[in-house]
Amino acid sequence: MAEKNVSMAVDLGGVKMQNPVNTASGTFGFGWQFEGFFDVSRLGAVTTKGCSAEPWLGNPEPRMCEVPSGMMNTVGLANPGVAGMLASYGEYLQGLEGRGCRVILQAAGHSHEEYIAAVEKIEELAPWCSGVELNISCPNIARGGALVGGTPESASEVVRAVRDRVKRPLLVKMAPVRVPEIARAVEEAGADALCLINTINGMRLNVRTRRSMLSKPTGGVSGPAIHAIAVRMVWEAANAVKIPVNGMGGVATWEDAAEMILAGATSVTVGTANFYDPCAAEKIVDGLAAWAAEQGVSDINELIGAVEC
Amino acid sequence: MILKSNVREHAFTVVENDAVGDGIWRMVFSAPELAASLAPGQFMNFLVPGAKQILRVPLSFASADAAAGTVEIVYAVVGDATRALTRMAAGEKSSVLGPSGNGWTVREGQGRSIVVGGGVGAPPAVAAAGLLAKKGVAFDGVLGAQTASRLWGVERLRELGAGQAVYMTDDGSAGGQGFTTDALRVLLSERAYDTVYTCGPQVMMRGVAAICREAGVSCQVSMERMMSCAFGACNTCNVSMADGTYKSCCMYGPVFDAEEVAW
Repeated sequence: MAEKNVSMAVDLGGVKMQNPVNTASGTFGFGWQFEGFFDVSRLGAVTTKGCSAEPWLGNPEPRMCEVPSGMMNTVGLANPGVAGMLASYGEYLQGLEGRGCRVILQAAGHSHEEYIAAVEKIEELAPWCSGVELNISCPNIARGGALVGGTPESASEVVRAVRDRVKRPLLVKMAPVRVPEIARAVEEAGADALCLINTINGMRLNVRTRRSMLSKPTGGVSGPAIHAIAVRMVWEAANAVKIPVNGMGGVATWEDAAEMILAGATSVTVGTANFYDPCAAEKIVDGLAAWAAEQGVSDINELIGAVEC
Repeated sequence: MILKSNVREHAFTVVENDAVGDGIWRMVFSAPELAASLAPGQFMNFLVPGAKQILRVPLSFASADAAAGTVEIVYAVVGDATRALTRMAAGEKSSVLGPSGNGWTVREGQGRSIVVGGGVGAPPAVAAAGLLAKKGVAFDGVLGAQTASRLWGVERLRELGAGQAVYMTDDGSAGGQGFTTDALRVLLSERAYDTVYTCGPQVMMRGVAAICREAGVSCQVSMERMMSCAFGACNTCNVSMADGTYKSCCMYGPVFDAEEVAW
C-alpha cells in the first residue's frame, strides 16, 4: 500500500483517533470478541455496546431477522449494566486504550434520570475512557415510548441533562429523524460530536402466521440496505453543524467509508459488517489509507466534506 | 491481559458436496486448523458465495477428522443461502468462522446413553454418538424425519456402535410411524439410561426434555436460533432460561442442560 506519507489521525470532538475507523455500539461486543480475528488496537476507536446504570434483560427471542442486503433487530439494549460490564471487561478496555485505540463507552437510558445515572457510573468507574456516547434513540418510558431524542426539543433536553456530568468528550448518537434540526439542537445543547445514523425502524411479517418476524412488531434495520440513506443524512448533518460528525450506516467496505468522509464525516463507524466479515473494520483502516494516498492528499482531514456536488 | 474468543476465520475448500436425500445435502470440506479444534456439538458460521443474504449461515457438523483436516456437515435446503451452498463444487473455497459455542459433555464413568436427532438435528446427534463411542460409553440412537427420503444418519449410528439404531418417520415410509419421542419412551421403559443428547426442532426437544425429566434421566439439548455473528458480539441469539434470564446460544450454548431452558 502507498499510504506511508498520509496522516490518518482525526479529532472527533476531542477524541483523538489514530485513524478514522470506529465500531458501532451493539455490533462489536466489548471489543475482546474480535481479538481472535485481528489486532483490535489498530482501530481508531471502539464504541462499546450501550450500557445502562442497571442491567437490562432485553427483549425475548426472536431478536433478529434478515432483510434484503441487511438485517433487522430488536435486542432491546440487553446489557449487564455499566458496573457489571466494567467488572468483566474494564481491564481489557483500559488496556485497549493503552494500546492506542480510543475507547468510547455508550450510555443508554429510558429517562433523564437513567441517562444521568449511567453517565455518572461511567465517570466514576471508567475515568480512563476517551469519550461517552449518549444513545438518544431509546424509547422514553415516561413519555409513552416516544424516542428520547425524537424531536429537537427532547434531544436538547436530554443532552443538557447530562452535559455537565460528563467530563470528557460527549458524543450523541442520533435517531435517523429530522436530521438537520436535531443535529443543530444537539450541538447547541453542548455535544462535542454527532454520531449518525442509528438503525431505521422497519417491520417484517410472516404472512402465514400473521406475526412479526421479531418478538416485537418493529425492529431496527441495518446493513448495506441503509447505506445510501445514511450518507445523505450524514451530509445533511455535517452541513448543519460545526461539531464533527461520526458517520455510520451500512459501512462494509473502504469505499463506503470514503463516501462517508466525503459527505462530511470526520470518523467512520463499521456496524453490521462486523457480524459477517469480522475483519471488515481492519480492512477499512488499510483501504482508507490507500485511498487517501491515491487521492493525493497528505492528511485524511483534507478529504472530510470534500464532496463536489 | 487480552481476552480472546476461540472463534477464528478459516478458509475452507470443498472436497465433496452431494445430495444424500430429498433436500438434504452432505458436504465434506478441508480446513485443517478448524478440523483439529472442533468439539462435537459446536458449530460454525459459513460465508456462502452467491447467497442473496449478507449474513453467514450457522451450521453444525456430523464429524471432524483432525488427521485428514476435514469436516463433514449435513444440511437441509431451507432457503436461498443453503440452496447457494449446494452449488459449491469440489475445489471451491470460501470462509467459515468457528468453532462456536460449547459442545456435548460426557462424564467420566458415564452409563448407557441415548442420542436423539430429529430432521436437521441428526448431524449433531451423530457427532454426539461419535463422542460417546470415542469415550467408550455404550449408547442407543433414535433418528426421525418427515419421510424416508429425508432421513439421514441411521447407518452412521450403526457404524459408531449403537446398540440399537431406531428410526421413525412422520409418514411411516421408513422405520416406525410416529415421532422420535415415541421411540424414546420405549427405550427408556426397557432399561436404565444415564444421559440423553438431543437436537432437532424445538417442539421435539421440549418433548424429549419432558420425558427425560419424568424418567429421571439427565438431558442435554442443542438449541437453534437466528443469529448474526456466532461469536458473542450481536446479542441476537438469546435463549430463554428457566430462571427468567436469557443466555446467548452462541456463547453459552448451543448445548444446554435441558433443565436450564424455559420450555
